[in-house]
Amino acid sequence: MDLVARCRAGEVEAFETLYREHAARLYTLACRMAGSREDGEDLLQEIFLQAYRKLGSFKGDSSIGTWLYRLALNHCLDYVRSRRAKMNKLTETLDADASFEPTARRETPIARMDLERAVERLPEGCREAFVLHDVEGFDHKEVADLLGIAEGTSKSQVFKARMKLRGLLGRR
Amino acid sequence: MNVHPNEDALNAYAEGSLTAADAAAIEQHVASCVSCRQFVDEVREILRATADLGLQDPPARAWTRIERAIQLEQADKARADGARADGARADGARAFQASEGEIASGHDHGPAKAGRYRLWLPWLAAAAALVLATVVGLRYAPGRSQTGAPTSQAPDGSAQVSAGDAAQSVEYELRQAEAHYENAIKGLEQIANAEQNALDPRTAATLQKNLAVIDQAISESRAAVRSQPASEPAQQSLIENFKTKIALLQDTVALINEMRKGNEAGAARIVSGLKQKGN
Repeated sequence: MDLVARCRAGEVEAFETLYREHAARLYTLACRMAGSREDGEDLLQEIFLQAYRKLGSFKGDSSIGTWLYRLALNHCLDYVRSRRAKMNKLTETLDADASFEPTARRETPIARMDLERAVERLPEGCREAFVLHDVEGFDHKEVADLLGIAEGTSKSQVFKARMKLRGLLGRR
Repeated sequence: MNVHPNEDALNAYAEGSLTAADAAAIEQHVASCVSCRQFVDEVREILRATADLGLQDPPARAWTRIERAIQLEQADKARADGARADGARADGARAFQASEGEIASGHDHGPAKAGRYRLWLPWLAAAAALVLATVVGLRYAPGRSQTGAPTSQAPDGSAQVSAGDAAQSVEYELRQAEAHYENAIKGLEQIANAEQNALDPRTAATLQKNLAVIDQAISESRAAVRSQPASEPAQQSLIENFKTKIALLQDTVALINEMRKGNEAGAARIVSGLKQKGN
């Protein structure tokens, strides 16, 4: 019996194998979309619980990894939309946030950890567009569809994110 | 092109999304303009670094939390199925057999097919999951009213909250969050303390040392909040310290579970994380 069939049959050990194979990719996506590791961990739990409940609807048209990724992406997008609605925080208001003062100019290569931290500090709105476009590789049309924004807005948000990152990483 | 291109155009040039004609015009300008060339180089550096970003492994406790939640769901489903079967038996419609530690059924129960798993839920996992359920979803944010306390209404229907009301609301939220975290911590501490003997003495000592450090930080944050009740950094610090303590206790419970299951690799991963936090 293959892994998915064993998961559907309720074998927790098989589900753990599925988790071990895909958790890092989905956790990384969730952390970057949410902007914090703590929220990313909560999202990861919700994503795998949802996967466990919905495995019956997996038809095998795509790989289980692709199915899980789409499920995770949709869950992250729901979370981002709901948080934005709750907090009523627009990107424009965050643009004035003094905490985004650029750091002193640095010439050393960008370290991964510094970039991860800087991405976490990006304002909501441009962070999600940046993660989807520059990190996950979606084109602007796809980003626009996923986030429910215009294609031009996707471009400007991604550009804005890069400008913020320049400042946060001491590149200007 | 003598006029500097705008940043959007330079960004598009740096990522290579311009048409050949537009790209050629900007290339010509960039070749002779130091500031625009520097801008393009910086954007490209960020793009290169972004392309090199790797994956992050979730903390070891993440799977333990998921596993517990699945077990709870399975147990709930089994109870519900059992209740349904009891009803059916009472009607004489179906015989239902349950053997020790195992539920046997001819039905297909979907992902949690009842006939295929044992009710092996240890009380420890169930209790920890219940405690954790109270923590998930609580995200305290100072300066933001989520109390549901009544607010006055402006003629246009918008809420009017005075500065005094807002300060009281923040204090109320903080007290609520504090009580919430303290309850969760108490529950986890009970579980961890009751099962301490499952840990080797060195690991237990590391845990105690880390807990003592966090307790000290909580005391200091509390004192700071008392002296400056309106200080957001002080409030945030207190909440962050609560979260740190909860995370450590979660790791402790996860570790105890792994030891009980005899999963040495899982236990080693958690112990390694604990040592890193302790350094």
